[in-house]
Amino acid sequence: MIEVENLKKSFGDLPILKGISTKIEKGEKVVIIGPSGSGKSTFLRCLNLLEKPTYGKIFFEGRELTAMKERELYAVREKMGMVFQHFHLFPHLTIRRNITLAPVKLGLMSQAEADKKAAELLQKVGLSDKADSYPNQLSGGQKQRIAIARTLAMNPDVILFDEPTSALDPEMVGEVLELMRELADEGMTMIVVTHEMGFAREVASRVMFMDGGYIVEENDPETFFTHPQNQRLKDFLSRVL
Amino acid sequence: MDFLKEKLYDTFVVDDRWTYLTNGLKITLIVTFFAALLGIVLGFLTAIVRSTHARTHKLPILNAIAKLYLTVIRGTPVLVQLMIIYFVIFASFNVSKVFVAIMAFGLNSGAYVAEIVRSGIMSIDNGQFEAGASLGLNYPKTMIHIILPQAFRNILPALANEFIVLLKETSVAGNIALNDLTKGGDIIRSATYEAFLPLIAVALIYLAMVMILSKLVTLLERRLAKRDRG
Repeated sequence: MIEVENLKKSFGDLPILKGISTKIEKGEKVVIIGPSGSGKSTFLRCLNLLEKPTYGKIFFEGRELTAMKERELYAVREKMGMVFQHFHLFPHLTIRRNITLAPVKLGLMSQAEADKKAAELLQKVGLSDKADSYPNQLSGGQKQRIAIARTLAMNPDVILFDEPTSALDPEMVGEVLELMRELADEGMTMIVVTHEMGFAREVASRVMFMDGGYIVEENDPETFFTHPQNQRLKDFLSRVL
Repeated sequence: MDFLKEKLYDTFVVDDRWTYLTNGLKITLIVTFFAALLGIVLGFLTAIVRSTHARTHKLPILNAIAKLYLTVIRGTPVLVQLMIIYFVIFASFNVSKVFVAIMAFGLNSGAYVAEIVRSGIMSIDNGQFEAGASLGLNYPKTMIHIILPQAFRNILPALANEFIVLLKETSVAGNIALNDLTKGGDIIRSATYEAFLPLIAVALIYLAMVMILSKLVTLLERRLAKRDRG
């Protein structure tokens, strides 16, 4: 589904990604971990070209994103959802309108269809009573669940999660992870940057360790956590586990 | 007391002199309203061009024009701009002074509105642009449905202030012999040789208009703030 070939990204003179190649199949749940500054968020943001790669190629469903015109790229992003660390809900719109804005303005659904879809999604994320609230009236965990519902409204083929629980109070992390686990069980393709090792171990089909702008090691979670090969991964795991 | 009554009668009632003020007020309101409208349109367009260029490096030519416009308008006094437009640009055309005043004050206000709107757009977290993009909304759609509504609300006080300034600035329109409110008071002064009453009356009318305008903005702000109540 997603293919990355020798991806490099620098900010000015500072190289962040130094050559990343990988392949992600439909239905996979890839969890990316690594120390801060390792480039994992930048890598994720390159996948939907929120960051423009300095070098290398990215393919999504057989089409090369890195060679696309702006207009085609927006169409591709409709199918690549993204959930942000800081939610980025639209504060001037009600929860319902947060969810329906994109499908309606992109002409994918009528307002009535989108409202119906929003009601279903709100039920799914357990926030049916918040449809007419504004984002600022919600807790962090609720905001993130709404952000996930907003992404789901576009019927994406893959969802990118950029540290979705890092900005949450500890007691709210569980509700968001629970929802993500549900999505995983339903077969959604997911790429998750996170520090939640428990989630990685239980939900991931593959765990990647990034450090210094490279994917240093990737494996199934069982092998990854119990038999790490690389010394840097061993050090990292000994610090976080 | 009788003395004051006599003065008031003399200043405002004799020869229907009060009509200088009411007719002048009408002109002032017309000029302010349409100049504000023109200023909003020009200001938003200029601000959108400028911030689009800053973010995407597109529209280089329009951006250069916008910068030139801002530099010239903000670098010269509004009275000089008004006189240039009337005595130079429209010198050989027979156009109404009201129209000229609307053009001059609208062009002038647009430059200030542009900088206010631009600051409003810049005040919006980059994450809002990214959230729009990640949902497949292109730059114009993100701008219209996500960024501008939030920016507008942040800049409302500054925008209101700009229109209060604009209302008062139109008082220099007498320089192209436009009979606005200020000019109306001045005509009464020169007819009665009495400066105090007509000028105070003019000042009070401006003050009343500004207070009404401020009140309206407060109401609008309160309405927009509703969504923040948690």
